[in-house]
Parts: sequence; C-alpha cells; structure tokens
Amino acid sequence: MGKEFLGEFEELVLTMVGVLGEDAYGNAIVTEIKDRVGRDVNLSAVHVTLYRLEDKGLVKSHMGGATNARGGRRKRIFTITNAGLAMLRAMKEARMDLWKLIPQLKIAGG
Amino acid sequence: MKELNGIPRVALRFLAWFCPSDLLEGIEGDLLERFEDDIPDIGLRKARGRLVWTVLLLFRPSILLRNKFSWRIINGIMIRNYITVASRNILKRKLYSSINAFGLSIGIAFCILIYLFIKDEQSFDQFHVNKTHLYRMYSEVYDAGQAANPESDGPYRKMSQMQLALAPVMKAELPEVQYATHYCQNNTLFRKDDKIFRESIVYIDPDFFSMFSFPLLKGNVKHLFQGKDEIVLTPKLAEKYFGNTDPLGQVLIINDRPVTVTGIIAEPPANSSLQFQALLPIEGWGPYNQHNLDKWMNLGFATFVQLYPGADLNNLQTKLAALRDKYMTDDLVQWRERDKVPAAYVPYNIGFTNITAIHLQKDISWDKVSDPKYAWILSGIALLILFIACINYISLALTSSARRRMEVGIRKVVGAYRRQLVYQFAFESVMLALLSMFIGFGLVTLFLPAFNEFTGKNISITATDVISLSGISVGLTVLVGLLAGCYPALYLSGFRPVQVLKGVFTARLSADFSKPLVVFQFVLSSFLIISSVVMYRQMRFVTTKDLGYNQHQVIVIPTQAGWREDGNKVVEQFRQLAAGNPSVVSVAGTDYPFAGNDGMVYGYQVKGENKATHGFNIDTYFLKTLGIQLVQGRDFDINNLADTAKTIVVNEALVKDMGWTDPLNEHLNFHMSDPTAIGSRVIGVVKDFHFLSLEENIKPMFFSMDRNDGSLHHILVRVTPDNIPATIEQLQKVFRRISPDKPFEYTFLDDNVARQYASFDRWMNIMAFSTTFAIIISCLGLFGLAGINAVNRTKEIGIRKVMGAEVMSIFMMLNKQFIWLSLIAFALATPLAWYAMRRWLGSFQFHIDLTWYLFAAGMLLGLLVALMAVSYHAVKAARVNPADSLKYE
Repeated sequence: MGKEFLGEFEELVLTMVGVLGEDAYGNAIVTEIKDRVGRDVNLSAVHVTLYRLEDKGLVKSHMGGATNARGGRRKRIFTITNAGLAMLRAMKEARMDLWKLIPQLKIAGG
Repeated sequence: MKELNGIPRVALRFLAWFCPSDLLEGIEGDLLERFEDDIPDIGLRKARGRLVWTVLLLFRPSILLRNKFSWRIINGIMIRNYITVASRNILKRKLYSSINAFGLSIGIAFCILIYLFIKDEQSFDQFHVNKTHLYRMYSEVYDAGQAANPESDGPYRKMSQMQLALAPVMKAELPEVQYATHYCQNNTLFRKDDKIFRESIVYIDPDFFSMFSFPLLKGNVKHLFQGKDEIVLTPKLAEKYFGNTDPLGQVLIINDRPVTVTGIIAEPPANSSLQFQALLPIEGWGPYNQHNLDKWMNLGFATFVQLYPGADLNNLQTKLAALRDKYMTDDLVQWRERDKVPAAYVPYNIGFTNITAIHLQKDISWDKVSDPKYAWILSGIALLILFIACINYISLALTSSARRRMEVGIRKVVGAYRRQLVYQFAFESVMLALLSMFIGFGLVTLFLPAFNEFTGKNISITATDVISLSGISVGLTVLVGLLAGCYPALYLSGFRPVQVLKGVFTARLSADFSKPLVVFQFVLSSFLIISSVVMYRQMRFVTTKDLGYNQHQVIVIPTQAGWREDGNKVVEQFRQLAAGNPSVVSVAGTDYPFAGNDGMVYGYQVKGENKATHGFNIDTYFLKTLGIQLVQGRDFDINNLADTAKTIVVNEALVKDMGWTDPLNEHLNFHMSDPTAIGSRVIGVVKDFHFLSLEENIKPMFFSMDRNDGSLHHILVRVTPDNIPATIEQLQKVFRRISPDKPFEYTFLDDNVARQYASFDRWMNIMAFSTTFAIIISCLGLFGLAGINAVNRTKEIGIRKVMGAEVMSIFMMLNKQFIWLSLIAFALATPLAWYAMRRWLGSFQFHIDLTWYLFAAGMLLGLLVALMAVSYHAVKAARVNPADSLKYE
C-alpha cells in the first residue's frame, strides 16, 4: 500500500481510534481530540473520516450493545486494523527518520 | 425509547431521509449524545444550532452515496489492472480483435441506420402545429372483386379521391369543421418567356394556409387566393423562372392562362406527406365546375379538414354518413343495383385519417406512403447481423480460452473472487464493443448515402441526432458487450485453479459449445444467400422475359397536347416530319404506352356477370411498331375508314374471358351507359402479351381507333440501335417544329418496363447488401475458428506427418468438420428460405420455379466461401515442418 497516504486529520482520527481501543466511536473521538489536543472538531468531519478510513481498510467497525442513553441508539464502534497500525507505525518512523536529520542542538557562539 | 426535549426534529428527519440506513443509527446516537452533553455547557439554543449545523455538514456525497456505488479503492486498482490486461489482450491478438471489432461495428452501424430509418418514418407530418386536428378524408368503395378475394381486408377499397363539393359542404354544414381545403395534384406546363417546363402543381383553397405549418416566406396570408389567377411558389421554383429578381407580382403562363405570383412558401420538408412546388387556387382549375360540384358520384379530389379542438370523432362519422345519404340518395340506389352490392353493405362510405397516420396507411395510395413492414424487415436484418457478430465474439472467446486459463488460475490462487473475474471479462468485451462503436459511427457516415438510395429516403445526421444517437449507441454497445461477454465470462471464470495450474488440460479444448453457434450462424447466412440467389434470378427473369412485344429501342414522347384532339394531329405531323430520318424505323401513337400505364379500364356486364377489360386507343402503326403478333383476323387498316369507329382488336385473354369460339364474328359492348347497344365489331385477335407488370396475370384487353374513347397522348418511335443520342436530338428538332411552346420529354419503353419493378429491385439490393455483410462476418468467424482449431491440433498434425501423412490428407482432415457443419446448416436453412421465398415470389403472377438447383447454387456458393475462409489455416497447418511443432516435446 505504498501509494496510499494519510492526511493530517485522518492520521489524528486513526491514532485516536487506536488510543481509545474498544471505546472508539464518533462522539468519544471528538471529546478525546478536544481533551488531548485541544482542538474543536465537528462530529460530521470525524464520521466522514472514519468511513473513509474504513474504505481504505485501516479501521473496521461493528455496532456496540444497546444502551439507554443516546435515545436508545447503539454506538458504532471502530477498531484499528493491522493495516491501520502498520500505517501509523510507518508514518511515525518516516517522521522520526526525518526528525533525526534536523540538527538538534545549536551551540551559540560555537 | 426516551426522546430528548428541545431536539430539532426536522434536522433528524432530514438526516434520516438522506443517510444510508446502516449508518443512521450510529450517527444519530452520536448526535443525540453530543446534544445532551452540550446543553449544560453551551445552553439549549446553541446546542440546537450545533446539531443542525452538524447535520448539514453531513449532507455530502461520501455519506449520501455510500453503498450506493460501492467504489472501493481496491476496485479502482483492479479496474486499472483490467484495462491494462484488456488492452494488452486486444493488441496481442490483433487478428481476433479485428475480426470481432469489424463484425460488431458493422452490426452496430446497421442498427444505427435502421434506427435513423424508423425515426424518419415516425417523424412524418409531425411538424404541423395543428397535427392533432388535421384529417384527410377518404372514400370507401364497395368492390366486388375484393369481396370475393379472401386475402383482402374486407370488401371496401379505400382511396383519397373525394367529391369536389365535399370540402365546402363539410365546412358549411358540420359545426366541427373549422377549415377545409382541396388538395389536387396535377402536372401542368409552365411558361415564362423561353422557359417551358412541366411542373407538378397542387390546387388548394385559401384555408390551406391556415391549416398546415408550411411557413409563408413572402406575401400576405390574409389576402392570398382572393382571385383565381394567383400562384404561390417554392423558392426553388421561383428561382428557376425568375432568377434573382423579386418573384412577387410577376406573371407566369400556366396552361395558356396568365397567373400572378402572390406568395413564396417554404419547400415542404422531406418528411412531409404533402409535397408541392406550386400552389394554385382550385377555382381556377378546369374540373372545378358546377357539373362536378353537383355530381357526388365523381370522385377525384383529395380533401383535408381541420376540426375544432374537442370535436367528437364518433359523432362526426355519423354526420358524414348523414351527409352522404343527403346528397347521394339516388346515386346509392343506382350504385347498389349496378355493382350488385349485398344488402349488408353500403356501397360507399366517407372516412377520415389523422394527418400523422397518412404515411403508414398503405391501403390508401399517396405520395411517399410506405409499408410499416419494411421497417420490420430492415430491423430484422440489422439484428441478425448484430447477432451473428455476437456469436463470432462468443465462439472466438471460448475457443481461445486456453490462453486465458493460466491467467484465470493464477488470479484465483492470488485471491480473486469469481465475481471479479466475471467483471474482468465483461469489461474486456464492453471495451471491445466501445471500440467497435467508434468504427461503427464511421461506417454510418460512409454508408448513409448508399442507404438513402436503397430506401429512397433523404436522411441526414443533424446535431440533435448526434446526441440521441450517441446515447443509443452507448446503450446498444454496453448491451452487446455484456451479451457477447456474458457467456465467455461465466465460462472462463469457472475454471478450477488446481486443475488449470496442474496442467491437466493444456492440450486441447473442446469446441462443443461453439459448434452449434457456428451452425446457427451458418444457417442465417445460408438463408440470406439462398434468398439473394432466388431474388436475383427472379429479377433477371422479369427484366429479360419476352413480353410478347418488342420493348427495346422504342422512345416514348408525350405529345403534351392535353386531353384534346390536338394529340392525334401531333402524332401524324411527327410521323411525316420524321419519315425521312434513316434512324427512325416507325412512328406510332397511343393513349397509354404500357409499362405502368394500364390503359382505360371498362367494366360491363355479360349475362348478368361483371367483367372488366383494359382498353387502349392506338393508330394503325401501333401493332407493327411494337411487333405484337396477330393470331386471327387483321390489323387496323389505314385505308379503311370504317376501322376508325366501332371496331376493335382484342387479345386471346379477352376471347377466353368472353367464351367466344369464333371471335371474328363477335361484338363487344364495353360501354355500360348503353347496355342494349351491339357494341364494337372484333376484327382481329392478337397473341397474349404482357401489357401489365409481371406481378399481374394477362388480363382481357382490346385496341380501338375510336377517338371518342380516347386520344393519342404519346408518340412511340422505334429507332435503329446505333447512335441513339443523335437520333434523340433529331427527334427533339422535329418536336420543336410541331410544338415550339411545349417541352420535349422522352423515356425509353424498356426503361419504363423495368421501372415497374423498382421497389423489388431496391429490396433485392438491400438483401444483397446485407447478405454480403452477413457472409463476410460469418466467414471471419469461421476463419478465426479454423485458425484456433489448427493451432490446437498442431501437435497432432506434426505426429501425423512424421508417420507419413500427405499434406492433402491433413488438409482434408482439417476441413472435414467445417464442411459437415455447413451441410447441417444448409439442411436447416433450406426449408426456411423455401418458405420465405415462396411468399416473396407469390407477389408475382409470373415467377421462376423454386427448383432444387437454386438451393444447390446457394449451397455451393456458401460452401465455397466457407472453404476459402477455412483453407488458409488448413494449408498453413498442413505445411508446417513437423520438427518445428514437435521439438518442444
């Protein structure tokens, strides 16, 4: 899948799916992003991105159990696939490789 | 289920409407949860706003169309792969691809042409704004002959000729009728200075201009045809007589009567049933007189009416019957007595046809009227050809499937679903079909002129046609692609990978399925071949048959003298002036020169029995000029004045019809007006000859010189065969001296005879055309099949040759099965063709017999072509050095 790339937002949502584990659904991801990154995102954007990630085979989804909250609606739970994890890992490593190339310490006056 | 207070239900309902159902629950749940959480944080009002906003943001293609088209990324990649593989395959097997593409493109091109044809047929007279209210009147006349004929559609003969008074009476007495006009076509001499031509004109009433949608280019509709001496021309005719000057107000001489041009009307389009070059008011026409207005028995004037919107047609029919009874009371009684009409039938009815139905109403003769049957036959041929091409594709794909086995096996092992493989092969065939479509388009533009000629149409492709055509062809193409690709796709995708990859059937493939296809294809082509052979023989028969008179080297010249005595003088003068010319053998005069001119038909009664005979008015030179043979009695004698009245020469058919044993002592009274008269004396009997088309039997006929029954309208000149153009020039000079103000027109009698069969000829051409293509396509199929067959048996041939087989015996071995297949096909096609051709020949009273050698000729021809297609590969395979084919073993 070398030709496939993830956008920044896609990567963020994919990471959150990985972070939340069994508890990753649309609303939880919005809240998590708000809490951890401090970014206000719209629910619709998260949903659309999740479905796109599903199309690419990076996450898969199933319906959770029924609850009394949410007007009785079930949650659509997303879980990261092996391909998704591999993708995240590859992106992280690629970034680390690049990061290493940046001269880290500049000695003033040296 | 607990619902939240204050939730914007409209937004949720909107979401439920557009969101695919399997996503809805998860999304809705998230929305509700967020809403609940938001209320304490930002307040109800803002929470509502946020929910509505989110729903609106969700309204986007990726949600809307999800699962509508499951366009997974994986598909995108695979489709790219399919295109690559398909184009590689098409390019790698150039021969097979081009056979397929060629066949399919011809099939598609034919279908497009037929589509254009049918569209043109249906567009007839659709351009009139008032088309739903415009009707043509017709007469229904009781016909005893038709009543006795079980094949006809009833005892009534329909025709468009009406009473002269019908149009004004309908308009005056029937409240449903808004406008009414005559529509009487005629040929008349036009004269403007030295320009003299015969033109086709139409006599009409002023209402014409309000009824039909022929735009008036110049002139004022309100003032048109106030007087008798006006004329309205098409731009073409105006330019012919007046060049570039303004035609309005100019004067033309028509039948020695000056008329003034008061309008210019647009040329009627090709798909109009009303075709005219010049319009004149009917009041100025000779037959428009009180006599004809009073006589409701005189039919001869086509009539159109426009009804008020909402007119009740059933009611109108009753009123028309009442009109007929009112004006024709006595006529009907007479009519019933004379024609012995049974009490159950009325001798005469008036009916009406909507203008849009005129074109396809084949039982009423009219300009350009056409039989809807033709459209069916053409569509049948087009579909047949398309079908043959599809069969080619299927059998070639199947027989060459060995090459694809490995590919299928590997794809399956790697994880392709069967469905994906089906897609792949279907995709390939659709791609090839698309390629064929473009070639087909090219072929359409190439064939269109020839097609127009065959069908007698004037079809051109306009910009709007291109749009609808592209739509249709893409639809057709995809359909054909799927149809042809469907079976191979299912067949190929069904291979078991283990077997394929183990190499179990690498050796040969069975042609079990393709054999019946080839047979079927060959049945179709054999049918077309036999039909073409029969049609060709019959057309040759009718054009070369000895008609009983010599129709060759006879020039027919109309006297242009009208229905007057002058014609007789013109013939005499012409004879005298042409006598010195060595190229002129003899000159004769007649009222009708055969070949489509069937003479006057006289009906009379003999001992209570209805009989009819054709009558021709001739002069003493006529029989000699045409070489008509006498069997009894004598010809008319120029020196015997008694011959010019009350004497006739009859044919054998008339003698037989009357049951005469000694015809020279008989009289024939062919005038119904005076049933007691003794009639005309028979002075001679001629041998039967074909004065009618060969579709008809030889009917009773007679010749007379009695100028009360007709006058000479045509000069027949028998000329010597050498240098005919020079002779015609001399004849023209002679004619100019006699009638300087009349146009010199001429035709050849044998051309006129041949022209009677023009429509048959056209159909023979269409058959020949499609047969050629059907043969080419099926031969291409055979060619491809034979090639594959030879390749399959390469090893076998190699071994046989090593063992000592002759080239000839291998050649025979390879061809044997194709000969068998084509023999089977012929056995199947023969009864089909026999049936169809018997029907076709049935329209001729004189026709060839369907003998075995016609079929044998068709078979030999087909076999020969098939062998030619097959032999190339057989020879090639038989001559290969066995060392080459066996060395890999």
